[in-house]
Amino acid sequence: MESSPAFTPLTPAVLAILLGLAEGDKHGYAIMKDARTPQGGGVPMGPGTLYGTIDRLIRDGLVEESGLSDDERRRYYRLTSGGRAALASELARLDAAIASARALGLIPTRGRS
Amino acid sequence: MSARQADHHRPHDRPDDRRIERLYALALRLYPSPFREEYAAPMQQSLRDALADRTFARRSLLAVVTLDLITSLIKEHMTMLRATYGRPALLFNAVVLSGIASGIALALYAIPQHVLRSGANDPQIQLATDASARLEAGTALAEAVPTGDVDMARSLAPFVIAYDDQGRPLASQAKLNGGVPIPPSGVFDYVRQHGEERVSWQPILGTTRGVRIAAVVERVSGAHPGFVLAGRSLREVEVREGWVRIMAGLTWLGMLALIAIGTLVYGRLTRPEPAPAAEIG
Repeated sequence: MESSPAFTPLTPAVLAILLGLAEGDKHGYAIMKDARTPQGGGVPMGPGTLYGTIDRLIRDGLVEESGLSDDERRRYYRLTSGGRAALASELARLDAAIASARALGLIPTRGRS
Repeated sequence: MSARQADHHRPHDRPDDRRIERLYALALRLYPSPFREEYAAPMQQSLRDALADRTFARRSLLAVVTLDLITSLIKEHMTMLRATYGRPALLFNAVVLSGIASGIALALYAIPQHVLRSGANDPQIQLATDASARLEAGTALAEAVPTGDVDMARSLAPFVIAYDDQGRPLASQAKLNGGVPIPPSGVFDYVRQHGEERVSWQPILGTTRGVRIAAVVERVSGAHPGFVLAGRSLREVEVREGWVRIMAGLTWLGMLALIAIGTLVYGRLTRPEPAPAAEIG
């Protein structure tokens, strides 16, 4: 599934999950924990939102089970090429918005110090 | 961000944690069964991992999990309902069947109601025709329309009233509050042109509004032109019409309930496999 623009803009939960999985295969709790951090999107989510979103991402072909498991209840997930493309498309969209905000002086320009 | 960081945390088996896990396992039963079968175990495992992770503030974690439980329950049920019953063919069939059921119920009400109301005119047609014919043949008014004391407000007996050509009462077998009521002048005008009229009439005498009457008005021609009205209270007919209305209404509601149950059961039995979601998140 390469038509990533069809999926953007992504919801905060989807962006956090895709961003978390961009690092590598992860199980549910690791995704939840990373999503809470500012680097991971700063999205506090519980198991219901996590697995509901993962279910829809799997159906849309953006995420798949990796098959790796250290426990039958702890499943690992990974990004598909479509998921990686959707994430790249969303990040490019956000990057353009941030560049625009920076040009308008709404957020400070990055310094070299 | 460490992908496998959580793997190093193990449950400490605190009594509080076990209670929370048990409550959460019960709450998981509220999710739609296909979702529950697929994700209940990993969801429980994620909560167990979170409870074992002491970097999480317990209060904040429980707040997030509780809110998440409520919102995701609603979301997953809505998703399941859309997938199960949001199919155009299923909804179209239900709407068409409801339309047919409504038509049948309307006919079940309208046809008996019409038959009952038409049947209520039967003796009056004969009475009015006979009285009119006798008056036209020269029979004396007192003989053609003998005076009676039918109480229009209470009696179910048919009665005859004779009026002159201007619509003034000449003789009557019935009274309402001691007087003889007069139909609206439009009724007489119509009978002058068409010879006969069959109407439901609610006579008003002074400020008293009487019962509804099934009235047949005939034109009297000849040397002394006028009108003859034969009437009978519709009280019993209206009671029967009420029963017909109730039975038709119950039949309608019953058919709609059957259609709703059938649609729910059929929708559930033929629920399609999850298709790609239109909306993520």
